[in-house]
Amino acid sequence: MLTFGFWEPVIVIAAINVILICGLYITALSGALSMATAAFAGVGGYVSAVLTTNLDWPFVPALAVATVSGAIIGCIVALVTLKMKDFVLKIATLAVGEALSIAAFNIKYVGGANGFSGIPLYTTMTWVLGVAALSIFVAWRVDKSRIGLGARAIRDDMVAAASTGISLRTVRLVTFGIGSALIALGGALLAHYVLIISPSQLGFLYSLNYIVFLLAGGIQTLWGPVLTAILLSGIPELLRFANEYRLIAYGLIIVAVVMWRPEGLITRSRRSAKGNAAAKPDRGAAAPAKA
Amino acid sequence: MSALLKVSGLSVAYGAVPAILDVSLELQPGEVRVILGANGAGKTTIIKTLLGLVRARSGTIQFDGKHDLTRLKSHQIHQLGIAWVPEGRQLWGSLTVLENLRMGAFIEHDEAKVEKGIATMFERFPRLKERRHQLAASLSGGEQQMVAIARALISKPRLLLMDEPSIGLAPLVVRDIFDLVRAINQDGISVLMVEQNARQALALAHWAYLLEIGQIVESGPAREISTKERVQEVFLGGAA
Amino acid sequence: MDIFLQQIMNGAVIGSTYAVVAVGFALVFIVLRVVNFAHPEIFMLGMFSGLWAALHISDNLAVVLVAGAIGAGLGGLVLERAVIRPLHGRNMLMTLLATLGVSIILQNGMAIITGPDPVPYPTIIPNMSVPLGPVSLTARQLVNFAACIILLITASYYVRGTKYGRATRAVAERPDVAAAFGVNVSLISLITVVFASLMAGIAAVSVGLLYGSAWAFVGLLYGLKAFIILLVAGNRYFEGVVFVAIALGIIEALITGYVSSGMRDVVTFTLLIGVLYFRPNGVFGSYNA
Repeated sequence: MLTFGFWEPVIVIAAINVILICGLYITALSGALSMATAAFAGVGGYVSAVLTTNLDWPFVPALAVATVSGAIIGCIVALVTLKMKDFVLKIATLAVGEALSIAAFNIKYVGGANGFSGIPLYTTMTWVLGVAALSIFVAWRVDKSRIGLGARAIRDDMVAAASTGISLRTVRLVTFGIGSALIALGGALLAHYVLIISPSQLGFLYSLNYIVFLLAGGIQTLWGPVLTAILLSGIPELLRFANEYRLIAYGLIIVAVVMWRPEGLITRSRRSAKGNAAAKPDRGAAAPAKA
Repeated sequence: MSALLKVSGLSVAYGAVPAILDVSLELQPGEVRVILGANGAGKTTIIKTLLGLVRARSGTIQFDGKHDLTRLKSHQIHQLGIAWVPEGRQLWGSLTVLENLRMGAFIEHDEAKVEKGIATMFERFPRLKERRHQLAASLSGGEQQMVAIARALISKPRLLLMDEPSIGLAPLVVRDIFDLVRAINQDGISVLMVEQNARQALALAHWAYLLEIGQIVESGPAREISTKERVQEVFLGGAA
Repeated sequence: MDIFLQQIMNGAVIGSTYAVVAVGFALVFIVLRVVNFAHPEIFMLGMFSGLWAALHISDNLAVVLVAGAIGAGLGGLVLERAVIRPLHGRNMLMTLLATLGVSIILQNGMAIITGPDPVPYPTIIPNMSVPLGPVSLTARQLVNFAACIILLITASYYVRGTKYGRATRAVAERPDVAAAFGVNVSLISLITVVFASLMAGIAAVSVGLLYGSAWAFVGLLYGLKAFIILLVAGNRYFEGVVFVAIALGIIEALITGYVSSGMRDVVTFTLLIGVLYFRPNGVFGSYNA
């Protein structure tokens, strides 16, 4: 078994964040940015925790069921939000996340407000690195697939994509299904590493972390978000400051990236040129000199 | 006589896509000039660049021989005496007619003058007086165009920029609008208009430009322009 | 029956604070098209500015309220010029992220200065009960309620009855046209953010006095609620935002009183999902954002 001593928790958390960000990347391919990442991860965590702890299942089948439950809930959310416009969709996913968090809070069987504790330690370095590699591979495959191309077409122009015969329903079901499955898998691995899962972990504030990874890394490539996830989950762990200073550094990084790398850390030159052309000089009066 | 407005070598691009290229034109005080062009020729871009709403990539816009409009912000440009009748009216639909007119007089700080301006506009457009407390969005197209024109005139501009004032209006209303422009011009206000309705516009204008794919391809006195083959073909029924 | 009325009254007091925060949040959203996630932290800045003034300058109520307004107003000023303005014209999500970053910085920065736990506010208003017919409010509740209602009336007057308020509405609907008619859109944006911040600062001090404490993370209690109120009300009518905010305060008070405090947020989110499903533009309608 691999051991890394002091580095181990840093690497495990970074790898789990890579798994989650790969899932969110797939989910967001069609432009539908989910605000419920942490909640989907939490579903995976709770499912696996209940199966292993309360029902004495072995680790692998529990992981599999957690993954499938992520896929199912992803597909349900995809269907519910299918017709919603961009901003409303984001809020609806936010509300779904909060609702799941509140549900966990109120269900005594999974520990209620105190959270679910006593989860067995199964997650190892080998597991997380293996699954992280698998997630990157899956995300890369989906990105290059016909569905992936269709999803990008929908993100760029919903009307044009519809006229080429790409079904929004298929694209959303596949991207949300696969993406949420990975997210739930990552969440289950997390639960079996930190050994406790609490309702607040499903909330919007946790989901925001992954949105930051995705947007700061840039939605145009898979590598940007993956790299950002590794950097942003690693750096604060390494800075041995008090918690507040770490969070301030985190806030500063967000502001800095948005102000100076608005397209994200890694961009595709071809795509960004197109993005500029499409940008209307709307409200230019108040922001002159930015040609 | 020095030109009121002198545009030289103006180019504008949206990202990598050029919208207008090396456009030069001018306007003498007291004149009506019209820029004819099809949809997408870049007419609205010219107007918006004059207003500072779109930034020029290169070229200069001299106003009154001393101000370069490309260096000013929109609200400063308005203070020089340039008012706008936008394409499709663009009223504040959630404001009342009266509020729209007051916004037209935003830069006037003397309340008495604002009231006088409003009274003058109500004299000119009695229909608007009846509807002054209605939301602008609830008016008919013709009434909305009256509000748009009154809103622009209330600041007593020296130059009026009109972007397709006839678009979307019934033929009878269009005639009224062009008569109104003639009357406005006789009051001493210079007018730069972009239009697709070439026949009416040419009958009114002193000078005309023809804009195609962002470039001026013809320029001359309105009477001469109307005889050009290209104009005949595209705007005066030849190609219909 | 009296207990029921009392719960409604208590809820209305809480709702009036929600309304001030939500109206400030809504104004910035409508006029600038910016989801200002740092607004609740501006509220928090006001709360601590008032506390600082009470400890170091004077414990006169007016001084403390003004100090709260100044602290929050300055915060809003810097926020608008340093973060919101430079991001003008960018994707709405980008400004949302940037203001979120600012809110994280402010929360934790304040936590470093004042500690992560609530800090006691000095007793400026005596802890006495004021009977109002069948119900009664404490003097502190009354100050909080009165401050918020006065702020809301002031905001309504500003937006509906003044020249700059009219220009603000014009910018909200058509910024380009407003600019072309001489309105300095950048200035209006600044005024709007500062105005919203001043309101939040005053309300924050009255909340600090009400609960007897200031807290670096108090924004978390108000931020998401303000957001939800705006979504439920829609961004079309100022009055709609106020109505939904006060209604939410009352509903929460009734649920806390008759069911359990655990169920309170369940209702909030159920309300949100329900409204989004049936009325995607909010109960009172929206401009397209």
